[in-house]
Amino acid sequence: MTVTAEKLVKKFPGVRALDEATLRLAPGSVHALLGENGAGKSTLIKIMTGVLRPDGGRIVLADGGEAHFGGPHDAQRAGIGVVHQERNLIPAFSVAENIALPAVPQRFGFVDRAAARALAKRCLAQLKVQLDVDRPVSTLSVAQTQLVEIAKALAVDSQVLLLDEPTASLTSDEADRLFTVMRELRDQGHAIVLVSHKLDEVFAIADTVTVLRDGRSVAEAQPLADLDHDEIVNLMVGRAHAVLELARTPVDRTATPALELDGIGTADGHEDVSLAVRPGEIVGLYGLVGAGRSELARAVLGLDKITAGTVRIRGEQARIRDVGEALRRYRIGYVTENRKEEGVFLTQPISRNIAVTVWRRLARAGLVRERDENSLVATYRERLGMRLSGPAQLAGELSGGNQQKVSLAKWLAADCDILVIDEPTVGIDVRTKAAFHELIVGLAADGLAILLISSDLPEMVTLADRVLVMRDHRLVGEVDNDHDYDRTSQEVGRLLHQAR
Amino acid sequence: MTTPSLKISFRGTEFTLTVLAVLAFVVLALTTHGSVLHGDTLTAIFQFLAVPMVIGLAQMAVLGVGQMNLSVGVVTGFCAMVTAWLMVDVGLPAWLALLAGLATGAAIGLVNGLIVVLTRINGFIVTLATMTIIDGLRYGVHGTATYQGYSPGLVRLGQGSVLGVPTVFLFAVLVAIAVAVFFRHVTVGRQLLASGGNPLAARLSGVSNDRSLVLAHLLSGLLAGVAGVIVVALSGSVNATIGDDLLLPSFAAPIIGGVALAGGVISVVGTCLAALIVRLVDVAQAQYSINPDWVDLIVGAVVLGAVLITQLRGRAAT
Repeated sequence: MTVTAEKLVKKFPGVRALDEATLRLAPGSVHALLGENGAGKSTLIKIMTGVLRPDGGRIVLADGGEAHFGGPHDAQRAGIGVVHQERNLIPAFSVAENIALPAVPQRFGFVDRAAARALAKRCLAQLKVQLDVDRPVSTLSVAQTQLVEIAKALAVDSQVLLLDEPTASLTSDEADRLFTVMRELRDQGHAIVLVSHKLDEVFAIADTVTVLRDGRSVAEAQPLADLDHDEIVNLMVGRAHAVLELARTPVDRTATPALELDGIGTADGHEDVSLAVRPGEIVGLYGLVGAGRSELARAVLGLDKITAGTVRIRGEQARIRDVGEALRRYRIGYVTENRKEEGVFLTQPISRNIAVTVWRRLARAGLVRERDENSLVATYRERLGMRLSGPAQLAGELSGGNQQKVSLAKWLAADCDILVIDEPTVGIDVRTKAAFHELIVGLAADGLAILLISSDLPEMVTLADRVLVMRDHRLVGEVDNDHDYDRTSQEVGRLLHQAR
Repeated sequence: MTTPSLKISFRGTEFTLTVLAVLAFVVLALTTHGSVLHGDTLTAIFQFLAVPMVIGLAQMAVLGVGQMNLSVGVVTGFCAMVTAWLMVDVGLPAWLALLAGLATGAAIGLVNGLIVVLTRINGFIVTLATMTIIDGLRYGVHGTATYQGYSPGLVRLGQGSVLGVPTVFLFAVLVAIAVAVFFRHVTVGRQLLASGGNPLAARLSGVSNDRSLVLAHLLSGLLAGVAGVIVVALSGSVNATIGDDLLLPSFAAPIIGGVALAGGVISVVGTCLAALIVRLVDVAQAQYSINPDWVDLIVGAVVLGAVLITQLRGRAAT
């Protein structure tokens, strides 16, 4: 079935996630959808599957009619199925029950079990997959659950199948088997969309490619045979990006690192990670979502287990058991990625949000005085340029940017001189973003050592002195940043996508 | 120290409750031709407000960390029985028996908290179990018999007044102020609310959520113990049925008072005012000779309404 998404536009507060992006799908082909983090792939998929509604553009179906999806159910009925990166099966249900779930066969209001099993068997046979339909999904392997999800999409007669990062958690054998299934479906006339970060697998299976960058489609349904690896990377990272010039104080590279990791391995799967951040330096940690960057930070802070290697703080070997220790003994702060979930107390006043790390220090005779907290708020309100009505305002009433500043202020209040800043500007509008960048550079100029985790390449190029690239829980290279976007981004892109 | 009640905003729950309480009082006074303003009735209203107030605060303490304590009522009864037993059967002096009663409540709370932290079972389940256990233990102390005739001095004090205000009510107010100061100014009290408001953020800020949980349950048990000794001092006789009718009021006061069930947001003033309003419903029942069954129905309806309003307000805010 031919489906065309024409000039889709989707606006979120502060950003245009999609800016006239076009995706043309033809039956009987595997189509790769590529783009860096934040290029708009997820948004495009959500629109195609009815989760989001576009602010502009249209989706044209095979019969020439325009599609208006009110919800995922409508997209499903139009024959567009999706297998998300995270599993969407009910573990306690059997394979057959899961496959039949979108359209449960019924008889007089009762579930027709025999029909459900027959349906499941037919769908699995279509994939040429052998699987006992009565097994509970909880007993299946990751690869098997994925096949069940594909079968589930076929159960509602999906002619278009979107696979989001399908091989992310598969072994290479399992991935090969999945590719066989994909080819099988392609030969049956299905249109398959493959979203992937792994260029080698894209070249192995896809026929055509669409590349998104900053919400625009910079390559539209081009035959993959016309392109090589480097051309695709260049399409993804783009050229001539306007990078904000910020005056930087030179870093003393001979100084003792404030934070040094030496051959670190973690329970989460990191292997042999070594890096050093010096006072006044901003070291960027770049990688794809899921590469293990935040997890590394969490391990350093004592939230996850470090299984190998040494951590040195200001030259001395350190064993950090929990955040309290990281904070009070080693003065490391972690400005978290999910400020709403982990960074602020939405139902509590700003004063408490900032002072939470220093109540012990503020307390006199065991009692914390609000006057002391309020003077803390006044200090950081000015230093970070926070916009608030007063210290008693609830954090939940602030804008995202100001919440982020509150989250940052609590670490500054605690006198941290090492900061791990994780995705500082996600969901923040452009103007606030620039102000935030100046703020981070200012903190480095004050002598703080900053480890910056970001999936935003222009942000990395703007801020970092050096960019470390992480892939699959390992550091694969380092790029000295000369703040020239073209050169740095292409080098980072090559490290990220190089064949292994 | 500070008086949190002075910081009532004119749109908050506290203000609404104050207006409601005054209104209820005026209506009661007018429709009963002033009989509720009569000395004895007025004294009784505030004497029997002490226990609901403290028991509401006991529930509020665990709601602060986003949990519930189903055992507050039976712990109150158990502590009352233990205190009376120590005076009557063991012969301890009244002050020592009272302290032992408080310690019993705190110890049960501590056990609740430790079980919650060590087993990771939700506090609702844990306290459901301890409630059932303590329910049995209450009868173990003295069967279905009644303790009475203990320490006449204590009872005189419990039923007495200072400048016309019942001593037990004054005591409850002091306890409320102490609880307010704890949550407002003491480091661990604020950390407790941080854990309740957002455990992830609290953990990342170096706050021990486990300690907060244990502390909240400990405080809850201690306050239930306080309610227990108030009963001993006020009533002059105790038996194993004390505490049976306290579970609903313990939830009613904080929930009507604007305390968030999800944790992190408490209101001492709101809880006390709500306890007063529930108390006035009781008084109205007595004054108008309404079938007592209606009281539970009304209190239940008010609780449901309060939760609904809180939810609607929360939706409007986001």
